[in-house]
Amino acid sequence: MIWTRRGVGYLALIAPLPVFLALAYGVPFFGVAGWSLTLPEPGLSNYERVFTDPIVLGVLLRTLRICAVVTIVTTAAAYALAYIWVQGSPRQRIFVEFCILVPFWISTLTRAFGWLVLLYNRGLVNTWLQDLGVTTEPLTLVRNEFGVIVGMTHFLIPFAVFPIASAMRHLDERVLLASRGLGAGRLRTFWSVFLPMTMPGILGAALIVFVFSLGFFITPAILGGGRSVMAAEFVYVQLFQTANWGLAAAISVVMVAIVAVLVTLLFRLTRVEKLMG
Amino acid sequence: MALLITTAIMLFLLAPLVAIVPISLTPFEYLSLPDDELSLRHYRTLVEDPAWGASILLSLRVALVSSILATVFATTFGLGVWYLQPRLGGLLVGFVLLPMVVPPVVSAVTLYFLTTWISRVFEPLGYDTWFGVVLCHVVMVTPFAVVIILVALSQFDRRIEMAARGLGASLVQRTVSIVLPNIRFGIASAAFLSFVLSWEEIAVTLFVTSVDAITLPRRVWMGLRDNVDPAVAAISVVLTAITVIVILVRMIVANARAKRVAEEALGQP
Amino acid sequence: MNKGFQQDCLQILLRQAEAGRISRRSFVRATGALLALPVALRANLSYAQARELVLVNWGGDAIDAYSKAYGEPFEEETGIKVKMDGSGPTEGAITAQARSGKITWDLLDIDSFSAMTLGEQGYLQPIDYTVVDESKVRPGFVWDYALSTYFFSYVIAYDSELYGDDAPTTMSDFFDIERFPGNRSMYKWGVSSWEAALLADGVAPDALYPLDIERAHEKLAAFKENVISFWGGGAESQTVLLTGEAPMAIVWNTRAKLIEQESGGRIKYIWDQGLLSPGALGVMANNPGGTEAAMRFLASTQDPKRQLVMFEMLGQGPANPAADALIPADQARHNCVAPENMAKQIVLNVDWYAENYSKTLDQYLALISA
Repeated sequence: MIWTRRGVGYLALIAPLPVFLALAYGVPFFGVAGWSLTLPEPGLSNYERVFTDPIVLGVLLRTLRICAVVTIVTTAAAYALAYIWVQGSPRQRIFVEFCILVPFWISTLTRAFGWLVLLYNRGLVNTWLQDLGVTTEPLTLVRNEFGVIVGMTHFLIPFAVFPIASAMRHLDERVLLASRGLGAGRLRTFWSVFLPMTMPGILGAALIVFVFSLGFFITPAILGGGRSVMAAEFVYVQLFQTANWGLAAAISVVMVAIVAVLVTLLFRLTRVEKLMG
Repeated sequence: MALLITTAIMLFLLAPLVAIVPISLTPFEYLSLPDDELSLRHYRTLVEDPAWGASILLSLRVALVSSILATVFATTFGLGVWYLQPRLGGLLVGFVLLPMVVPPVVSAVTLYFLTTWISRVFEPLGYDTWFGVVLCHVVMVTPFAVVIILVALSQFDRRIEMAARGLGASLVQRTVSIVLPNIRFGIASAAFLSFVLSWEEIAVTLFVTSVDAITLPRRVWMGLRDNVDPAVAAISVVLTAITVIVILVRMIVANARAKRVAEEALGQP
Repeated sequence: MNKGFQQDCLQILLRQAEAGRISRRSFVRATGALLALPVALRANLSYAQARELVLVNWGGDAIDAYSKAYGEPFEEETGIKVKMDGSGPTEGAITAQARSGKITWDLLDIDSFSAMTLGEQGYLQPIDYTVVDESKVRPGFVWDYALSTYFFSYVIAYDSELYGDDAPTTMSDFFDIERFPGNRSMYKWGVSSWEAALLADGVAPDALYPLDIERAHEKLAAFKENVISFWGGGAESQTVLLTGEAPMAIVWNTRAKLIEQESGGRIKYIWDQGLLSPGALGVMANNPGGTEAAMRFLASTQDPKRQLVMFEMLGQGPANPAADALIPADQARHNCVAPENMAKQIVLNVDWYAENYSKTLDQYLALISA
């Protein structure tokens, strides 16, 4: 039916965006991916380096490790928030909603900067800790991996709350009542009924957080104290500092591959549309 | 117990936003807590330094144009998929959503390549120009708009449109007078979200701008990395305050509306 | 790495303008004039395009400094307009343009060692020393693919209130956490960190090159926990020193001068065992403006008076020794190439960097990030 006269109208609706993205995004992406095979000389040497060079491997493994820690902490925190948001009293709900929405709408930069001024040596936290006599020397809370993890977790919590809350909302309340009715306590009901039934939301949230955190660039750059902690900044360095385009492209392709695997998993495990509603 | 943990997390979420306030009031030229006196000098800088004003205007323009383009792209695409329900629709939607899931740094490299290539052909639209930034932002934010439009369409009752089709309405008539009015909130949210995402976009902007197209986030970034200006704190406080006000107003309006709807429902037989 | 340095100079310039030391108007004029020129007029001028050069530097206010010091006087003399492009000649960008085959740049503000690497790949032209005067370059800074135009140095800056009379005088002191307690800050892009580590480890200054990277990295690995931040731009180094996050840091001398001013003398800096680094101008291969015009421009930058303008505006040490005498006595102590200052410093070995920089940088970044 696409080729009938009426079909042209539909085609005019559906086509522009994919065509635009194919030209503005798809083509240049393959151009970049091509570098990984052609620069500095044709061959697979860049990929060989990605999987054998201890420097590159170190960056990739550290990135994966940080992402894993961030994912676990973020998902757990988001679960608690979502629980109150869905199950709490009206007043609690409003407070939680406010706390989720405000950071959600504020830029990465502002938030990373906020952590910097909160956590640096002469920052608020250290000043308070010393005033209260808890510590005598300032703690190093930022310009290191800890600071990066804090900043990333903070950024990602709202993203994780939405899918979890959605899963909780779709839960049939009667199941919980039945569980209570059968004599299970609150805690027991939570552990054996509520938690397993919201598991798809948890997995969806965890995957979203992990995928987002893989590409993090700004937060680590501001909170990492100049150490190129994560893969994204490593790509930046290879591109602009050492003019090593082939390697930068190869790492990019590997990152996209990791994301592709994770997203496929996400589709398999959950129905994405459900997470969005 | 759960409440205690949640309160801690809520504090965690708000703390860095609050922390910026005292820094923005420091009388010193560098990042520091004010000791005795408070000063508004960094807020004055925002108003008086033409560079900040220029960046704000540029960001507004970029965000406005990006938001319009992204919304148009997303709406037409969403409508097309919704009408046709093509067999490979899922794949098509997946493709369109790619820029959302691909690590931003990879997108940034890709778009850097795109803009520098455009520059070689026609400089005024390429690397480090406002239009180049718009182009990249449209790529980055449209997927989010698509998601919102698709969700809005999925909540719209298809039978209404089918009835109109049965009565002989053309594609344009059905779209303009039936579908679009019904998803207008979705379109508005898509436009709003695109605007905000473009307004604060930095990861890609960093790669495709240099010295001319300095958007507001780019200037803040320079203020953080290359400079020590507490004006960064001041602009952050201003932006945060605007956000908080908008959200509060929205929540109050939504609450009032919910109440009114409930009252009307009660008042009716 | 040069990028960061030049941007830093710009900020210094900007600050000076803000403080009223340079007229704000003169700044805006150059850029304003370019923008205001109507498109039609530019099209009419196109026949004269062979009579112009494009100089690529690191943007913003460098455009004004380069215009004022070099561009405007050159145009007056020769009628050749020098357009400033601030998009930043990174090695990546130069490579990209050279490979694209469509060359739009003539002159590049570039690191001498980058110029060597790029020149050998055929992306830059050799300097014509029959036009450019070799005798107006400090001995030892004459290269094939770049002309020495300025100097800057990596020096130790420290909090004089915290350490009182016991001031650091060597890199060993920088690494001595017991005698000088407190965090440190070092350069993110490696240059100066290797030299500092080796000096502290007992390598004699004249036996520094070729750098024993393994030894340097061992020393740095043991020390890095004391380094609170590896700064990538001069302002970052300024922040950590002023806030006291790091009471001692290795910073650019141009920035150190500014920090000294801003802290009211609390933060001081020393020249001892500083690492003196040369900055340079290079010429793109097959540049649109032609070799002759480019070389004539390079020769014009050797004028001591023009280099003095760069010292006044950005704090860069002049490449032509004849400029030293023009620097007012009260400013001479900030000149990194003044004989008494230069004697205390170690000169960066350009050949070593051309050969080894990028692969060593990878290892260094891995080390500090681990």
